[in-house]
Amino acid sequence: MRRLLVMLLVAVAALGVGSARARLADIDAAGRGTKDLLYMPNGKYLKAISLGHAPLIADFVYLWAIQYYSDYTQADRYRYVEHVFGDVIAELDPGYIDPYWLGALILTTEGKDEEAGLRLLDRGFEKNPSAWILPFFAGWECERFGQFDRAAAYFDRAAMAPGAPLDLFRLKAGMTARTGNLREAISRWQDVLGDPRNNDEARAIAARQIRTLTVRADVQDLDAAIATYRARNGRPPHSLGELVRSGIVSALPADPDGNAYAYDPSAGTVSSAASRVLGS
Amino acid sequence: MNAIIAIALNTFREAIRDRILYLILAFALVLIAVSHFVSLLTVGSEVKIVKDLGLSAISFFGLLTAVFVGVSLVFKEIERRTIYTLLAQPVRRWQFVCGKYAGLSLVLGLSVVLTGAALLVAVALKGEAPVDLLPAIVLGFVELELIAAFAVLFSSFTNPILAAVGTVATYVVGHLSWSFDLLEKRMSGDIGKAMCRGLHAVLPNLDRLNVKASAVHGLALPPGYFGSAVVYGLSYAVLIVILACLIFERREFV
Repeated sequence: MRRLLVMLLVAVAALGVGSARARLADIDAAGRGTKDLLYMPNGKYLKAISLGHAPLIADFVYLWAIQYYSDYTQADRYRYVEHVFGDVIAELDPGYIDPYWLGALILTTEGKDEEAGLRLLDRGFEKNPSAWILPFFAGWECERFGQFDRAAAYFDRAAMAPGAPLDLFRLKAGMTARTGNLREAISRWQDVLGDPRNNDEARAIAARQIRTLTVRADVQDLDAAIATYRARNGRPPHSLGELVRSGIVSALPADPDGNAYAYDPSAGTVSSAASRVLGS
Repeated sequence: MNAIIAIALNTFREAIRDRILYLILAFALVLIAVSHFVSLLTVGSEVKIVKDLGLSAISFFGLLTAVFVGVSLVFKEIERRTIYTLLAQPVRRWQFVCGKYAGLSLVLGLSVVLTGAALLVAVALKGEAPVDLLPAIVLGFVELELIAAFAVLFSSFTNPILAAVGTVATYVVGHLSWSFDLLEKRMSGDIGKAMCRGLHAVLPNLDRLNVKASAVHGLALPPGYFGSAVVYGLSYAVLIVILACLIFERREFV
């Protein structure tokens, strides 16, 4: 009788634990939202009470954040991303690089808050001046938004960081070309060509880029001069020589092969014998 | 010197026979092994979590060893009345305290060597050179030596429960000593400021012995830091052991 009573008690208790646990999980899933994060203190305070184990606490918060932001059932979970990754994890362990780029990736890709993502990467680079990966990421994010000026500036910062790979100088030059500042881009590629640390392959790429960009920059300048001539005279020039005689340009450039640029007076357009490199 | 060595070896043997030590060591080793699996949950560097968890396990379980073994070292001898037999021999009281401390240091040394070796192997298995962790492990041991000195100090004049509370409190205060500096800036009165300055200067600053973050990120310590930190921690421990000897010399056994 006593044994039966004990078994009954155990069964009732086990049932109570199981059903209450399931009920709590349902309530939790239904109404939790981002209120979990309201009680997450700033990393500075957590660090103060960590008693010398701040990096470990940073690991745990990071692991928790990965699981939390992998849960797609909470629509408003992006409100505190910058706080979690920037104010908590980065304050606990400023040298922990992964949370900066992962937090930025969540912010820019899923949270659609590009500026917050870039702020997080900036903060990481400020605390870790040799972590070139952070401005490198920021550069690609800017490229994705079409902000080529900012992308070039980020690649520049990444390239200047201690221990950064030489390839970053090529990225910087390439991104400068995408801003439309072709002369500046040529100058950056010339830096790559003249850098003795680069291998033959990198120098060959730089030489090709200089050739392409030189043609594009010359054609761009000649088009602008033709437009000026047309505005003054109401017609395009009969030849490129007229641009010099009218004082709009001081001299005509030659293409990278040393040949003169071809001119079509009827259309008023300039092309080069090396036009295949223009992709036209 | 022979008396100190004899007492130290006896204390070491006694602690080794103690099951608590095995339990703590097993927990530390299991935790380091588990860190491998925990690291699989992360995005990015897995080895960072192994290093953090390992260094914290060494420090935390070393603290438990220092507290649980250290606080009852002297008390047990008094309670069992073996102290009378011991002090009836040509053994000075200070030799007894120093021997007890040396024995506890051997226990802590063994614990740190075993758990440290397990961590180094775990990191090496992840494909990273573990040498960067050595300064953090060595300074972690120095920190434990300092905590053990406080455990022996408290053990020399009070019961194990109070000694454990005192030792843990010292560990907590040692990691919060920066707050006296902060408090001093907030204080308006001269007496309060002087008290904060005094406490900041006198209490151990255990953060000086904590280089876990630098070690994990492979950052070099500033020149001379490691040596100064070792000298700071060990000198402080010597002062506390001397204080424990002085207190124990004056103690009367009824």
